[in-house]
Amino acid sequence: MEQVGITGPDTRKELTLNMGPQHPATHGVLRLTLDLDGEMVTRCTPHVGYLHRGIEKLAENRTYQGVMPLTDRLDYVASVANNVGYCLAVERLFGIEAPDRAQYLRTIVFEMSRISSHLLWLATHALDIGAMTVFLYCFREREWLLDIFETICGARLTVSYPRIGGVLQDMEPAVLESLDAFTRMFPEKILEYETLIDKNRIWLQRTQGVGVISAKNALRWGLTGPALRGSGVSYDLRRDDPYDAYDRVQFEVPLGKKGDVYDRYRCRMEELRQSNRIIQQCIAALPDGDILAPDAPELDMPLSGKKELVPEMSLGNASIAFGDVVPVAPKGEIYSAVEAPKGELGFYLMSDGTGNPCRMRVRSPSYVHAGALAKMCEGGFIADVIAVIGSIDIVMGECDR
Amino acid sequence: MRHRLPDFLKKVLFVEILKGLALTFRTMLKTPVTRQYPKERRDPKPGFRGQHAFVRDAVTNREKCVACQKCAIVCPSRCIAIRYTTDEQGVRHLTRYEIDALRCIFCGYCESVCPVCAIVLTETYEYASYSRDGFLYDRERLLQNWDAFASQLKRESYFNMFWRPAGSDARRLSVGKREQQAIPIRRQKSEVKSTEAGKHGAASGAEGRK
Repeated sequence: MEQVGITGPDTRKELTLNMGPQHPATHGVLRLTLDLDGEMVTRCTPHVGYLHRGIEKLAENRTYQGVMPLTDRLDYVASVANNVGYCLAVERLFGIEAPDRAQYLRTIVFEMSRISSHLLWLATHALDIGAMTVFLYCFREREWLLDIFETICGARLTVSYPRIGGVLQDMEPAVLESLDAFTRMFPEKILEYETLIDKNRIWLQRTQGVGVISAKNALRWGLTGPALRGSGVSYDLRRDDPYDAYDRVQFEVPLGKKGDVYDRYRCRMEELRQSNRIIQQCIAALPDGDILAPDAPELDMPLSGKKELVPEMSLGNASIAFGDVVPVAPKGEIYSAVEAPKGELGFYLMSDGTGNPCRMRVRSPSYVHAGALAKMCEGGFIADVIAVIGSIDIVMGECDR
Repeated sequence: MRHRLPDFLKKVLFVEILKGLALTFRTMLKTPVTRQYPKERRDPKPGFRGQHAFVRDAVTNREKCVACQKCAIVCPSRCIAIRYTTDEQGVRHLTRYEIDALRCIFCGYCESVCPVCAIVLTETYEYASYSRDGFLYDRERLLQNWDAFASQLKRESYFNMFWRPAGSDARRLSVGKREQQAIPIRRQKSEVKSTEAGKHGAASGAEGRK
């Protein structure tokens, strides 16, 4: 790109602007190069990979159990969604089914993570557009959920609460009560957020008619989750391909019409209410019973089927091979997807019979959405890019993996 | 036109903005929820996965580790190194146990698999250090971590939820885990009430929490 002077004959030429990877409104380390014609974006090119940690490759060297804490670090805002998604994929591969109670518990924590993820989205999205108050209010409520996560599993963010074939531990009645209190209190709080921004003229002007993507284009670009539903396509894996206890609860799938930033915002706000409803139903219908399937693999499942001597281990030594000659995992390939807060989160596992995945591929919604960002930003203003990034709700940990 | 007029009026009178301002004003009068961190410390919930420690056994006054290597094997970030010797009876004796806390991802797998409830992740969350060596925990350091943690614990006894997670199948647990009782907390020093400021070293960082 040639240098463009402020004055002179070339002032009307396009300007290339680099945004990110350290831009506060890119929600992580997303870098965009924007070709500008005045204030209009003529082309937007997302660059990803700044947060690449090779999680898919790391998974090939861990046992199926050992991969679990890695999945926490994909979409760290809603780590339970990743955990459950991964567990379901492994369970389908192993042919295990989690007991009823574990399924309900997982549904509860899944929806808790959806609420906490959407709260963080609303907080940062509103902050990007200029509403500071919502940011603080959302974090106030999110704290309650994080406290519950801490009580049930000892961590607030990277929870690793689900286990292959069940969950780590049962929820005590006190925890369920606290959660129940949250669900009773929460609808009021959603109304509070809406009082602040739903009809606010600044908010409406910044979001309505901005970053429009038609239903056809949304499907073509592979959007999922609220980003797709904002365009009016009714697709929700919780309803269309139910897992855990979703086939036993009632909820609605909110839809938008125009596919602009405001519609996506409305979709997520409705989802907050629906998630709240799901949690209430799950608490009411929580069956008794085991929390871990009897045939679930042990936490210290062997890595390899071959019997080898343990080499003297040292820090950082990555090769540990041990165990008796047992078939560790069934051979095969499996794809399993869940409706994570951001969209369809899929795990593709390839097993060659050893205790570690031969290949694990993560279909992360954020990556797909970052691609579609270009489509939504082109033709809009620079300032709208911020609104659009917020509205597709990307987390770079999941995007770059 | 009848529908338009109220909308128009609302817009002119800034109704939605005023409603928002009224809400923020009401919230302003409520008690603040923000914690002023260095002054107000938050007590982690029991079972919080924090700093590593070896539970000090009341009988032997040493760690309970039997060098079974399970934690080293299960650790997803492979931050545990164990060396041991085997005597004539085939009993293993721990010679070296090291945790590189900088590699640790605090998943809690080690305390989950430990058959004798030796290694725990304590609720200590303030243990910054100026050097990397400060995060390489050997046997002695892990025992010290336990003493530092136990001396400031407010509860009368300590039971880690990973020893017997609620609702877990007892048949899947080791004997050591099934029979593990809550550990009564003996306070050696007379109630560490407050430590002087500036003494927030790596080991004593937890003691300042009150």
